[in-house]
Amino acid sequence: MDALVAQYSRPAHHDEGYSQDEQQELIESTPSLSLKFALPPIASPSAWLRAMTDDYSNPNCPIKIAHGTTTLAFRFKGGIIVATDSRATAGNWIASQTVKKVIEINPMLLGTMAGGAADCQYWLAYLGMQCRLHELRHKRRISVAAASKILANLVYAYKGMGLSMGTMCAGVTPQEGPALYYIDSDGTRLAGNLFCVGSGQTFAYGVLDAEYSYDLSEEEALELGRRSILAATHRDAFSGGFINLYHVKESGWVKHGFSDTNPIFWKTKLEKGEFSNVTADLE
Amino acid sequence: MSRRYDSRTTIFSPEGRLYQVEYALEAISHAGTALGILAQDGIVLAAERKVTSKLLEQDTSAEKLYILNDNMICAVAGMTADANILINYARQAAQRYLLTYNEDIPCEQLVRRLCDLKQGYTQHGGLRPFGVSFIYAGYDPQRQFQLYQSNPSGNYGGWKATSVGANNASAQSLLKQDYKEECDLKEACGLAVKVLSKTMDSTKLSSEKIEFATVGRTKAGKVYHHLWGADEIDALLKEHDLAKKGEETAENVG
Amino acid sequence: MEVLLGITGKDYTIIAASKAAMRGATILKASDDKTRALNKHSLMAFSGEAGDTVQFAEYIQANIQLYSMRNDTNLGPGAVASFVRGELAKALRSRKPYTVNLMLGGWDPITEKPSLYWADYLASLAKLPYAAHGYAQYYCLSILDKHHHPDIDFEQGMKILRMCTDELKRRLPIDFKGVFVKVVTKDGIREIKYEDDMPVKSA
Repeated sequence: MDALVAQYSRPAHHDEGYSQDEQQELIESTPSLSLKFALPPIASPSAWLRAMTDDYSNPNCPIKIAHGTTTLAFRFKGGIIVATDSRATAGNWIASQTVKKVIEINPMLLGTMAGGAADCQYWLAYLGMQCRLHELRHKRRISVAAASKILANLVYAYKGMGLSMGTMCAGVTPQEGPALYYIDSDGTRLAGNLFCVGSGQTFAYGVLDAEYSYDLSEEEALELGRRSILAATHRDAFSGGFINLYHVKESGWVKHGFSDTNPIFWKTKLEKGEFSNVTADLE
Repeated sequence: MSRRYDSRTTIFSPEGRLYQVEYALEAISHAGTALGILAQDGIVLAAERKVTSKLLEQDTSAEKLYILNDNMICAVAGMTADANILINYARQAAQRYLLTYNEDIPCEQLVRRLCDLKQGYTQHGGLRPFGVSFIYAGYDPQRQFQLYQSNPSGNYGGWKATSVGANNASAQSLLKQDYKEECDLKEACGLAVKVLSKTMDSTKLSSEKIEFATVGRTKAGKVYHHLWGADEIDALLKEHDLAKKGEETAENVG
Repeated sequence: MEVLLGITGKDYTIIAASKAAMRGATILKASDDKTRALNKHSLMAFSGEAGDTVQFAEYIQANIQLYSMRNDTNLGPGAVASFVRGELAKALRSRKPYTVNLMLGGWDPITEKPSLYWADYLASLAKLPYAAHGYAQYYCLSILDKHHHPDIDFEQGMKILRMCTDELKRRLPIDFKGVFVKVVTKDGIREIKYEDDMPVKSA
């Protein structure tokens, strides 16, 4: 018994190197469709789904999928900042202002949601499960590269069937350091320093790119992340609600609040004189 | 002799004159006097009312002074019926400008629009020229307060102080004598009643016999125009000791 | 992917317009000036349907110049903007509307204030402290929201413009060949030399 316990109670992050074989196994561990994920009993699922759910190609679709979002994540010397808004829209309807778009996959790994809320929630939860299984199987935490690849291979398997997601995986592991990946439902998987995803991405990019630097201090980085989401919630109708802010560092992620955008907007405007566009005295 | 050239407004006489225009000017010189004085902080227009009667509804029958636009008013000498046509035209022109440019029409432009119309009747159409002269008072941001005068020929000019109608020659010389360039609106009002009291036939003035209007700017810089009420005119007359003693109502019913 | 940007400051209005003239997948010209001076203190930048743009701009230019000749005075920027909007709205309700987006930079010599007007092809007009047209809106408005203040001096204005064009170069998928930059001040309209070839660092 003691031996058994010892075997499974090694420090979680003991030796995180991967052998070539293990890497291969990781990539191939993508579940097949044998998960019994129910598909609609029709000839062309993607066309059917589009007709039923895509507000853009069919405004009268019976199911409106939540689409609008702003999420961002960027790497800097102190780790990774992850920030999102919290609005869920279905067509022109604001379905919720308090959505949690950052998914805490495990204490070291975060995922962000953009696109179809249900798709993201389901598959990121599934990713969480796979990561835990990996941890149990291999007795060490999964790398961000591997986790993101599981997701990328998964969505690629469903390509053309109407999945809609744009996600980021952020985490810190001893072998990778802070790592950030972008994965979308087309099957794209990119490693990078900075990504913004969602309908408000351009607005966030605007603010973020202008002042981004890898050498940002922790406070500066948090503020820049917060301010970039604020910019997007101000200009993008499909983003808003609360700013959900995380900092991922070696010791794991730290949450920096779920804060209402409204008081932050007015504070920013009145104290810093920004948003000079918002005024009543332009004739 | 003149007969041959009278019947058509569009034909010069051998002496190079347009008789119909001159007759129109003649008609105006019998109309009630109207005058305007430009001050530093505004403009005053004053006019003699010819029709006075106890039965006349004072408030509803402005005879000589009209509002053209938010930034402009005018005084009329001559045929009121003709003036109504021109005033209506001017009001429409001003509104059209406001609609196009979202700002008030500059004073001179409005004057010129009216004068272009007037001029047309001295040249073609075989019609009678308008039998009216105007004094215009207005403000625009480019040239501040402005005073203009126009006549039936379609000529116009800018003035510091001017008059039209009966006795306008003597009014003009009185103005020339007493006008001070740095006067303020209050002083200009004083000068206006003084001149009017001397050029009008009756010795004592009253609110029934004159009309009064001012254009100025509020402290906030907003342009205002104001057609004076009877009580305000009477107060001004009293101040300058020109009012009829005792009762204010007219005895010499017209 | 035409770019129009406008920024007002303390005593100036900056207008920037992309230099590329594109037809389909081809860049026909890399030094196209998408602006016209209307009078001494009004500059109009335009983008939209090929042909319509220059036709409309030069029609407006001619009419504004006619006004100056007739009245011996220049129309102020506010009046110019109203006139332009009126003409665009009139055309919109005709058989052949102009599909043109506009930006009007001006200086009012009477109030001694700079101004910027934004108008789209549906003839909606707005007076704004800063503005953009097309895809530039999506990238630059958030930058301007953050960094613009009404009383910034010219150097600060150019610095913000540089942030905007850098971001566009970084994120727009098609090269717009840099921008022409013009500024309207009390002294009139002048072109600003603008370095377009500097590489932009990506994150």
